[in-house]
Amino acid sequence: MSSFNSILGVFLRESKIHYRSFFNILSIFLFFILSIIIFVFAVGSNKELFNQIGVGIIWTIILLSNTLSIKKFFQNDFDDNSLIIIHMSGLSYEIIALVKMLTIWMFLQAPFFIVLPIAFLLLEMQFDNLKIVYLSFLIGSVIITCISAISGSMNLLNKKNFSIGGLIIMIFSIPVIIFGVNIVNVSNNIEIIKAQINILLGIMFFFLAISPWASGLCIKISLQNK
Amino acid sequence: MLLVNNIYFSRQSKTILKDVNLSIPPKGIIHLTGNNGVGKTTLLKIICKILNPDDGEIFWNGKNIKKNHYDYCKNITFILDQNTSNENLTVYENIIFWKKIFSSQIKINEIESILEVLGLLEYKNTSTIHLSFGEIKKLELIRLIIEQKKLWVLDEPFIGLDLKSVEIIIQTITNHLELNGMVIFTSHTLPTIPNINTVNLEINE
Repeated sequence: MSSFNSILGVFLRESKIHYRSFFNILSIFLFFILSIIIFVFAVGSNKELFNQIGVGIIWTIILLSNTLSIKKFFQNDFDDNSLIIIHMSGLSYEIIALVKMLTIWMFLQAPFFIVLPIAFLLLEMQFDNLKIVYLSFLIGSVIITCISAISGSMNLLNKKNFSIGGLIIMIFSIPVIIFGVNIVNVSNNIEIIKAQINILLGIMFFFLAISPWASGLCIKISLQNK
Repeated sequence: MLLVNNIYFSRQSKTILKDVNLSIPPKGIIHLTGNNGVGKTTLLKIICKILNPDDGEIFWNGKNIKKNHYDYCKNITFILDQNTSNENLTVYENIIFWKKIFSSQIKINEIESILEVLGLLEYKNTSTIHLSFGEIKKLELIRLIIEQKKLWVLDEPFIGLDLKSVEIIIQTITNHLELNGMVIFTSHTLPTIPNINTVNLEINE
């Protein structure tokens, strides 16, 4: 019961902190929208082209937007020692990582469901594909959150070079991009869609299994070296 | 009872702690002294399981703390020499967070009385980023009351506090000891607490 209280306490605290930093979160989505607009200006209005490459653009910019939020994962709690206090309430580092992943997904990934139709509108893409993009993003966003958790915790080990975290996200997200984009390109073949979704689900469960463990280990080592 | 047995700790091939032995019985208080860099904070972090010793063991009520992490956590409070409150949250929100994660039974009116005694009641709804160093330190020390644990591990608890607050903290520690509590703390000043046991750590070459 007390473990549940601790988890709930951390969850509520994280939610409150994210809610307070509303404008920081807003800036991530503004970055996403502005990047799409810049793309439209750079390439010009070409409905046919955007229907072919639009999903790829969206996924790429989602990925770049995520690199902006890596620091939100563990750095502040590491700097103000609250990770130590939370750990001393009896929660393992792995559970702490899992709770933070959940709140990060809720506040930094889930709002993309609202922003995605705007991107579709700006890129003049067919709204028939929105459902399938939603589905791939639902799975892909969990994977990206897991990868961000790993890179965010690895950044604690390497205080001098923050770009490494971004690089890790990009490298590990390549499969998500491949399958996330391909789903839309084969949207007329339900069997291939199912296969792609299954692969994405497989990647998601893999990262869900390893990321709390990997993040927990990085947090533990970084606190020991603090 | 806490038993610290033959603790060795080194960092980057430099020995920091060498064969450290301590025991704290109920009502026991240990004052760790020593020059800067002798490993006082390191020892406290080892006791709190934040650092792993190279060798040696720590026992809580006869059980190795490696094997009963959860039970040990339920009995230990660690006050660091640094801030642990979140600067985006108010004084009250930080306290409620601590109350929640440590499943504290303390009542809201009791919290308000403590805040009043420490002169923090007027800052109840102020973000901690706007508090002074001493006020943040007082807020940290409130965790001792909120957590209601048996073993208090305090790293430089008196730094930044005014004389009145130091007296309150000393009285709180004395009351805790009377209730079979245990305390280990580091400080460069010697507070007037009865039956205090001073352990001086030395630099290991």
